[in-house]
Amino acid sequence: MTADKIKKNKKFSAFLSLGVILFLSLLLTIFIASLLGSEKLSFFELNESQRAILFDIRLPRILVGACVGASLAVAGASLQSLLRNPLAEPYLLGVSNGAALGTMLAFAFFAQIEFARPIMAFAGASLATFAVYQMAKSRAGMNTERLVLSGVIVTTFLSSIIVLLTSLLDAAKLRSFTFWLLGDLSQATKNGFYLTLLVAALGTIILSSQAKALNLMMTGERDAFDFGVEVKKTRLIVFGTASALVGISVAASGSVGYVGLIVPHLVRLAIGSDNRLVVPFSAIVGAIFVVLADTIARTAIAPRELPVGAITALVGAPLFIYLLRRN
Amino acid sequence: MAQDFLGELWVSAEKSFSQIFVVIGLLFCVFNFTNCKSENSTTQINLPTREITDDLSKQIKLPAQVERAVSLAPNLTEIAFAVGAGDKLVGVTSYCDYPLEAQKIRRIGDTMNPNIENIIALKPQIVLVSTASQIETFTKTLDEQSIAVFVTNPNSLDDIYKSIFQIGEIFSREEKAGQIVDELKRRVAEVEVRTSTAKVEKVFLQISKESLFTVGKDSFITDLINRAGGISITSNISMAYLPISKETALALNPDAIILSDSEDNREPSDVFKDSSAVKNGKVFRINADLISRPGPRIVDGLEQMARALHPESFK
Repeated sequence: MTADKIKKNKKFSAFLSLGVILFLSLLLTIFIASLLGSEKLSFFELNESQRAILFDIRLPRILVGACVGASLAVAGASLQSLLRNPLAEPYLLGVSNGAALGTMLAFAFFAQIEFARPIMAFAGASLATFAVYQMAKSRAGMNTERLVLSGVIVTTFLSSIIVLLTSLLDAAKLRSFTFWLLGDLSQATKNGFYLTLLVAALGTIILSSQAKALNLMMTGERDAFDFGVEVKKTRLIVFGTASALVGISVAASGSVGYVGLIVPHLVRLAIGSDNRLVVPFSAIVGAIFVVLADTIARTAIAPRELPVGAITALVGAPLFIYLLRRN
Repeated sequence: MAQDFLGELWVSAEKSFSQIFVVIGLLFCVFNFTNCKSENSTTQINLPTREITDDLSKQIKLPAQVERAVSLAPNLTEIAFAVGAGDKLVGVTSYCDYPLEAQKIRRIGDTMNPNIENIIALKPQIVLVSTASQIETFTKTLDEQSIAVFVTNPNSLDDIYKSIFQIGEIFSREEKAGQIVDELKRRVAEVEVRTSTAKVEKVFLQISKESLFTVGKDSFITDLINRAGGISITSNISMAYLPISKETALALNPDAIILSDSEDNREPSDVFKDSSAVKNGKVFRINADLISRPGPRIVDGLEQMARALHPESFK
């Protein structure tokens, strides 16, 4: 065995154990989160209603939160690599708003059909992604400013449509929507969990499978092409999958901001920028982040609740500034 | 070489990842199983024996005696106490401050964002809800726990009587509910007789000053104004509560302004400073709790409103 190979094996096992540790901490976080809540539960002697609270209300919500966190973090990580832009984030690019608008339209016109919301959210997210991309790209390529500006334009445009729509709905519905728009997990259900889990898992696997191509895309589209990456195909897969991930998250919990920004950056700081690691690790860290944030949202002013998006933004924005300064 | 290593790494990462999801899936299967068991035993305790219909025309199954109820609106809490069933309330919202006894009941969040964990822990047989505003997943979750949800949606004084009857029926207090409604009707009739000959005043009802909100056709407050010998100048708008532009409000030039009196609604909007209401000093404050809660105290609000608009009729 050459010294080179030993070194690599060491590195490999280090990453593997980091992955295992992260996963165990996710399980631990979920466990601790399920102990905390507006109702005190002692785990060993649960009566019927306590069992219902834990298994029908609290745990589905925690697990939906984990899936939402994973989805948004993975979507953010891959969009950043694809667009070669550290600020690419579903919320900042307007993709979340597209999904939110889709969800609201589904709510207004197809309230009876349960699957209309995630599907319309996906459609909205895809359209917003497409719009931002078309606006941002130019003959000279795509620079950061152009992308961020396009994101701002799409975000504000969609926001104004959302505002128009909410003022057409009656006052009571409007209030519950404003809460939901800020990111709110209180409507999580078991059925919702199965769907978000399915999409989050598939999305993470698909985007991880594109990791090699994404690594090459980070050096530039032309270089990637020279290395044999099918640039257009990769772009389509990443945009489509990221839109599905954002769509399902927004349909489940509204726009939870900053997750797709903070989590991948933290992961890259820790383990470098190889997407084969960044994408799956972001999924786990994103899940932990949102579960923690939602635990605060559920317990801080119990029995009342805060929107989880306010917590992620509160933690996320300063952390992001810190990260920027450290770089 | 490097590619090999990372490829290897990816394969193992993928493996552990798929295992994660299998574990979570298995966990969930276990939860579902334990839960099926518990649902069977709950239905035996609360065997529903009668049915009532709520304001959404939904059939609600109820046990013969309702012993545990949660109220998600202050007016419903007031009605429950009025019919003598206050002791059956095990949970109320943070807005439920009347009567005083209601303040001792467990708080379960506010009307728009009730805490579902707290509600289930209280094991209510029925949850009383004031409008269809509740998000449908909320109702669905309670349904799954075999907790009945009763929705009231009063748009007029007659609807408020109906709410009182319905809540009387829920708590098997029909007789008391009937007495209350008869008494309220008697007081309303007296107000109507006294104001019947008075000049009808054009009233602007200000719900909030900044931003300017008022009531439309679908609000029970519009009905209240009519019975107090006035007419709401915004009653042609078919909504319950609505924001109104300052220009429109200025052009309305009301004879009288009634303020739903609360901390941020003590003064009429500046756009009314040249209106005949302000010039003639016809600006009245009525406690918001009296006119905005469709419960028994609404008639107190009506009486105050009628006296304010037509003092000459109450001499």
